Amino acid sequence: MGVVIRNLQHVVPVRRARLRKDVETLRHILGIQKFDLGLICVDNCKMQRINNIYRKKNTATDVLSFPFYEDLRPGKIPCGLHRDDLNLGDIFLGVEYVMQQCRRTSLDFHSTLTVVTTHGICHLLGYRHDTDEEWKEMFQRESYILAEFNRLTGSRLEPLSKKCS
Amino acid sequence: MFKSISRAVSIATRLTKTSPASAARTVEPLVRSALCVPNSATTRPFTRSIWMMCSNGTASGYRPRLFTSKGVLPSVSCGCGGLHTEGDKAFGEFLNDEIKEERKIQKSNTLPKISGGWELDLNGTEAKLIKSLSGEKVTVTFNVNNSIPPNVEEEPEAGQKPTENEPEIVSTPNFVVEVMKQSANQALVFDCHFPEDEIGHGEGEEESDIFAIREVSFQPAGETDWKETSYTLNTDSLDWALYDHLMDFLADRGVDNTFADELMELSTALEHQEYIKFLEDLNGFVKCS
Repeated sequence: MGVVIRNLQHVVPVRRARLRKDVETLRHILGIQKFDLGLICVDNCKMQRINNIYRKKNTATDVLSFPFYEDLRPGKIPCGLHRDDLNLGDIFLGVEYVMQQCRRTSLDFHSTLTVVTTHGICHLLGYRHDTDEEWKEMFQRESYILAEFNRLTGSRLEPLSKKCS
Repeated sequence: MFKSISRAVSIATRLTKTSPASAARTVEPLVRSALCVPNSATTRPFTRSIWMMCSNGTASGYRPRLFTSKGVLPSVSCGCGGLHTEGDKAFGEFLNDEIKEERKIQKSNTLPKISGGWELDLNGTEAKLIKSLSGEKVTVTFNVNNSIPPNVEEEPEAGQKPTENEPEIVSTPNFVVEVMKQSANQALVFDCHFPEDEIGHGEGEEESDIFAIREVSFQPAGETDWKETSYTLNTDSLDWALYDHLMDFLADRGVDNTFADELMELSTALEHQEYIKFLEDLNGFVKCS
């Protein structure tokens, strides 16, 4: 199946082809092309509900990842799997939240969505940021991925710098 | 809405089924029903006026067919050419109440507008939304018939009160988008639908798009019939990248999630309007007013 995109909201127009292309590039950089991945675009209301259910945080947010493999060592790609297990999980993108952030910071929405998706994929691959150590490790990985992305596409993307837990 | 109309039909059926037995026992209730004058006629036996009414206007020399023609019929004609049974009367009363109730919950007498410069053209239950932009004409067609998904919630048990807040009825019709370029003699046609899990009433995490493309094909311009010999792209086994481009193509022409939501609202309002109109027509037909 590859990358499955779902757009469940109508607040922000999402260019699906652009999102797919950028995610395909990220998959190529990470060497995870054979893995399925779900991207679900939702509004603040839905994001808040999901965040409350799964993280007990009753606020909207930019990205929530639901890994298929929950205890991966950071960056360790699962191997020797059956076709049905070639799945990394789902990423919920809070596109309304991201759009609001972009308006405040005058950043391009779709570029920021790529940065946020990179963060989400890192979570699917076992990265965490509960401690400073983990944050540093994840930030370095995101920096590498986006540097490669910039090299391949001519973009100038930077990882999410603000620490969040 | 549909639950209650089916109930009305079953009540009417029950009444008409039981009527022949009572008609066989006594004539008087039959007369009351036929004359539609309950107060004055309750104890009145057959009179000349009835014979005149039920015959062809000749009072003598001709045996009226009130009893001879169809002995088992529960009622007689009032001259309109139709029957009027006790069931019809109950049916009419029920419909009056139903229409009042439906009017009460009708949000507005006017249909909601679709934003983005779409013009609405109605033909009964079929609606066309038309928009022109930069040499292209986009037409979206849908029909409100059979556009309400079946309610999966169970009926309340006998003796159990129905819940006060019934789920809202939402019309989610399939819709066809036709994109015509000025110079082309064929239209690019998208057969779209609202996936069912997105329109459920539950709190589950739905993961379908608000609307989805089912098929895409080229069709000759200006023809209403679907040309089966045109290649039809089915999206079930489609490359997702192509699918995303098709969705973006529609979004660029104003057919996006916002449009789909507004279409749902319009279709719901139109379906309700047509339902009320149907009830009124049915009431008129039953009453022969």
